Amino acid sequence: MRKKEKKGFWIQIVFIALMLVVWETAARLRLFGPRSEIIFPPLEAIGRAFVLNFAKGYGGVSLWRYIGNSMKLLGEGLLIGIILALILSGACMVSVSFRRIYSLVIAVMDLLPGVAMLPVVIIIFGISPGVIVFLVVHSVLWPMSRNVLDGFLAVPRIYVEAGKNIGLRGISLLLGVYLPASVTYVISGLKVGWARAWRGLISAEMIFGIASCPGIGLYINQMRVNLNNAEMYATLLVIIIIGLIVQYGILVPIENRTVKKWGMSR
Amino acid sequence: MNKMSAGLLGLSLLMCIGGCGIRNQNTVSNEQKSLNIAYQYGLAYTPAIVAKEKGLIEEAYKEATGKEVSVTWIQMNSGADINTGIASGDLNVGFMGAAPAITGVVKDVGYKVFTNLSGQEHSLMTNEDDVRSLKDLVGSSHQIALVNIGSIQHIILAKALSESGLDPHALDSNIVAMKHPDGMAALETGNIACHLTSSPYTYMERSSGSFYELDEVSKAWSADDSFIVGVAATSLYEEDPELYKALCDGIRTAMEYMDTHMGEVAEMTCELDGNTKEDELKYLESGSYTAETNSLFELARFMSDAGFIDTMPDSYEDLVFDNVLGD
Repeated sequence: MRKKEKKGFWIQIVFIALMLVVWETAARLRLFGPRSEIIFPPLEAIGRAFVLNFAKGYGGVSLWRYIGNSMKLLGEGLLIGIILALILSGACMVSVSFRRIYSLVIAVMDLLPGVAMLPVVIIIFGISPGVIVFLVVHSVLWPMSRNVLDGFLAVPRIYVEAGKNIGLRGISLLLGVYLPASVTYVISGLKVGWARAWRGLISAEMIFGIASCPGIGLYINQMRVNLNNAEMYATLLVIIIIGLIVQYGILVPIENRTVKKWGMSR
Repeated sequence: MNKMSAGLLGLSLLMCIGGCGIRNQNTVSNEQKSLNIAYQYGLAYTPAIVAKEKGLIEEAYKEATGKEVSVTWIQMNSGADINTGIASGDLNVGFMGAAPAITGVVKDVGYKVFTNLSGQEHSLMTNEDDVRSLKDLVGSSHQIALVNIGSIQHIILAKALSESGLDPHALDSNIVAMKHPDGMAALETGNIACHLTSSPYTYMERSSGSFYELDEVSKAWSADDSFIVGVAATSLYEEDPELYKALCDGIRTAMEYMDTHMGEVAEMTCELDGNTKEDELKYLESGSYTAETNSLFELARFMSDAGFIDTMPDSYEDLVFDNVLGD
């Protein structure tokens, strides 16, 4: 680890420690009303609840099962969303008319919150985990498409001409020139898409809870209803940890091994 | 510089959190008293709506003390949110389902029941030809829509199962949490097999004639049993008995007003509920609106036996303030 990176790491650690101190102080001073300990529990209670969530869970079902279901649905939705974004954005480079239509669709659909579409989605897909997958696809597809399309459109004309000169056409031009030249945009789209999908999944599960396929959002809802706020905060911590694992364990290494290694990004 | 930024950020967060606490502690300290009341949407909350629209709590307080009180009504989405509001001290009073109210008392949120508000009919409807009793649902993959896991409707389903000699949690994995109108739409389109709902959706689904009713649910919890109750912070009861009494009087007057002016009340609330005046009147007349609780302690005992709450209240008096009649 270089000296500069080491310093940055320690600043982050100090910041997290400071936040924990602020939390504990607020909890101990009972700043949130006469029953502050119920709605703003101390760190010790949250820590205990964190362990209990996995050891005991709710109604005999461990949080592991909820996480497993959520990650499965998220994985399916992300994969479909990313593939669709690449295909549809690629099609935009083949047909100008399609690009105009798709740009309009992105502009309209990206504004619609997934959970607001829930009643329509239920009518179309029925009551199944497929509804959640659809909402994840909706969360990831539009921001990802916007980024990928911007990336494709930013590819210098000379690269495209060079590709055509060596005989690349259609899909081979897309894979050989457009995609490598816009990797920065694709990775940026992946980061935005992942964050939107993760939030969309939890929101959808909190509103539309299928008990036969319980996810993390449903677990949070169950904890809220039962006033188990320490367990609820501990679950939020799990959400943050999973988010950080994906961010620093998957997305950052991809970025380091591609755009940063190739000098396309600092 | 970076350390300074982190320090400033932490300090501002601390000040922000501190500010919230200070705000909470000042809620009822001004010359003019204030009361923050949370209620929810639906027919079952009609006495609260009447008290709100007619200013009955303000009137009762002025009559008793000659002073003014400022009452703020806040519409919220769930009993869980109201529980948080009362625990934080931002709310003094809330109206919610009997089940979340019992959970709140047991978890020591700092309130007790000060009145019953209403009882409504509940029903479990199915669109499946092969489902004619709860036993037919156990072990099947048929899905049951109800408003939320842990809601009063969920507890009623568990109670109906228990009274049919089945495991109260036998259908937990068949539940899909959906709001009443979405559940009704899903039942109509065939997207779900069953819908457990309350008035007025109960009547709408019955009147369509397309569904079969599994009557174990309506027998397990009738319109005479407590469905929605009012809870008040213990601090209000202990520190301001005049205001507490005005609150109880205001709600009781609203119920008396409903008894004598049901047509007028239907006209007042029909637009809010999205019904015609005639339908609203019909739905209101089928409900029960009394201050006396019914089977509240029995519900608490069942919730404890079935594991919905960890501790059982010792007596009915643990759940309600001493002015509340009933069981």
